[in-house]
Amino acid sequence: MGIGHREEWITVGETRIPTLIGGRGDPLLVLHGAGGHRGWRRFVAGLAERFTVYAPTHPGFGTSDSADWMESIDDLARFYLWFLDEVGLARVHLLGHSIGGWTAAEMAVMDPWAIDRLVLVAPAGLKPDHGEILDVFYYPPDQLLPMTVHDPSTIPEWAELFGTPPTREQLDIALRNRETTARLTWKPYMFNPRLSHFLPRVKTPTLIVWGRQDRIIPVVCGEQYARGLANARLHVMEDCGHLPPIEKPAEFTALVLAFLDARQESLG
Amino acid sequence: MKLYYFSEMPHHEYADEEGEKYPSLRLAFPNTNFSPEKAAGNYRRYLEEYEFADQAGFDGLMVNEHHSTPSCVNVSANMSAAILARTTRRAKILLLGNILPIQDNPVQMAEQIAMVDLISGGRVLSGFVRGVGVESWWANSNPVHNRERFEECHDLIIKCWTAPGPFRWEGRHYHFRHVNPWCLPLQKPHPPIWVPGTASPETAVWAGGMGYTYVPFLVSFEVARELYDYYRQGAAEAGRTVTPDNLGFLICAVAADTKDAALEAGRHFVWRMGPTLRGPIEYFSPVGMRSRAATQFALRARSVSLATMSYEELVDNYHIIAGTPDEVAERFARVQRELGIGHLLLEAQESRMDHATTMRSIELMGRSVIPAMTSL
Repeated sequence: MGIGHREEWITVGETRIPTLIGGRGDPLLVLHGAGGHRGWRRFVAGLAERFTVYAPTHPGFGTSDSADWMESIDDLARFYLWFLDEVGLARVHLLGHSIGGWTAAEMAVMDPWAIDRLVLVAPAGLKPDHGEILDVFYYPPDQLLPMTVHDPSTIPEWAELFGTPPTREQLDIALRNRETTARLTWKPYMFNPRLSHFLPRVKTPTLIVWGRQDRIIPVVCGEQYARGLANARLHVMEDCGHLPPIEKPAEFTALVLAFLDARQESLG
Repeated sequence: MKLYYFSEMPHHEYADEEGEKYPSLRLAFPNTNFSPEKAAGNYRRYLEEYEFADQAGFDGLMVNEHHSTPSCVNVSANMSAAILARTTRRAKILLLGNILPIQDNPVQMAEQIAMVDLISGGRVLSGFVRGVGVESWWANSNPVHNRERFEECHDLIIKCWTAPGPFRWEGRHYHFRHVNPWCLPLQKPHPPIWVPGTASPETAVWAGGMGYTYVPFLVSFEVARELYDYYRQGAAEAGRTVTPDNLGFLICAVAADTKDAALEAGRHFVWRMGPTLRGPIEYFSPVGMRSRAATQFALRARSVSLATMSYEELVDNYHIIAGTPDEVAERFARVQRELGIGHLLLEAQESRMDHATTMRSIELMGRSVIPAMTSL
């Protein structure tokens, strides 16, 4: 994991957000989930071996500026399309996890040409045909955390991420992340009833990744995305919950690199 | 000091062990435990008690509203108020109150309150509340918008009552192209506005700035004084003078012929201090509903939870007043001296307190407590 990274503040309209940038190769935008930006994790470092990763913190999360005028995930999608303009990226690979995956899907239906290859990791955004998306706001954070993963004991970065009691500052940020998530996803809860109608527009090669034991968003949503998108494949990881990049970093990174590299090979 | 009669219209008609199986009596306790037959009788009974309180001389009848909970099955303050508007003659009808942030149609709310004011002959005191989180869940209303919606809903209701229609309203949360309610309140410029408080300094400052009557619920004298200070700060910023008429306080109270009987009856109030407030913080204060300042104030104000207090402590701390009429009058007078208030709201029936006990308490208060309050 020798590739270094830096933090840059990117200004989009009236909103400034910190963005971790590092790696080499074609640009890859990584959008985090409702839990917030978890830093330069193993899977990011792994992806940065072959791609130049841009990993911003969403507005209203972490130390980013607030954007209280935003009401929905499609606002966040428009924000990130603008972000690409500001950074000067005409066409990127895009990887989004959970609500970041939902954001990525909305970006794809808004501007398919901005995205080269798309990776959706347990994305919210669709109403499950069966089952329900867990109401994450109904549970205290300490009860919720174990529900997000399959088996903490198998997670290499568990202790680093969750092993010590959070500091006051971390608690404030966690609360801010939850508030912004509520602002963007409250009703309809965690889905956009119009999104499925637009998915067929997206011909972008797409990899959908899901944990078989995801207790937050049912795997059936992955099947729905795979059916709705014109050129998508669903890969279900065994013994894995809602956080595949954290729970199985090596397997996840290899899977994503193989998918993204397939393009480079075909071009080569 | 004026006295107000209040019942939450509880539905404590199931075995307590059933309720204890769930994380909370609110939201999570299945309504298969609701008994329509019992409720039908209870509604008639509770309304009779309100009507008797009017006859007994209470200055006001307070009604409230909650949802998805056996602690209060009054599901519409306006509906109860409309009934009392016809069946009572004299007392003010205090709605405390309508839960503004969860309303999707403030114009209809303005019409309904105006209609109650008209039917009652101008007896409405119109309380506006933000609601506990349970109500936001019930309405699926985004708690992040709770305060903004409260203020905007309030502004639109006041405009409905005071500005000639038709007019247009394009706000952040409410959008109406043709506002022209053909039902306006009898009281001018509009019914007095009341606002309760439990923990939010912003609400106290806001109420003070607006000159509304402000009523902390079931807090210690110390916390109440601190909230009144916030209220005074808001009033001062707006150049308003604060009088006892601006300040109220809510406690639980019951009178009986003997002290022992009263203390026995008063135990019914313990249910609302603990069991009905049990549950995850997420139910009562979902993310984004409270500001950081309110969260911090709540931690201090509720540093000793009502649920952890013994019955004796609740009585000692004036959260519950139970005694003979003389004892009750003496304690009410103490509350008045401590807080300098003009309105004392009595949660006077709760849990399984029976009809006879409730009626006797109302009768005793009417006979000797209320007359003793007029000089305060």
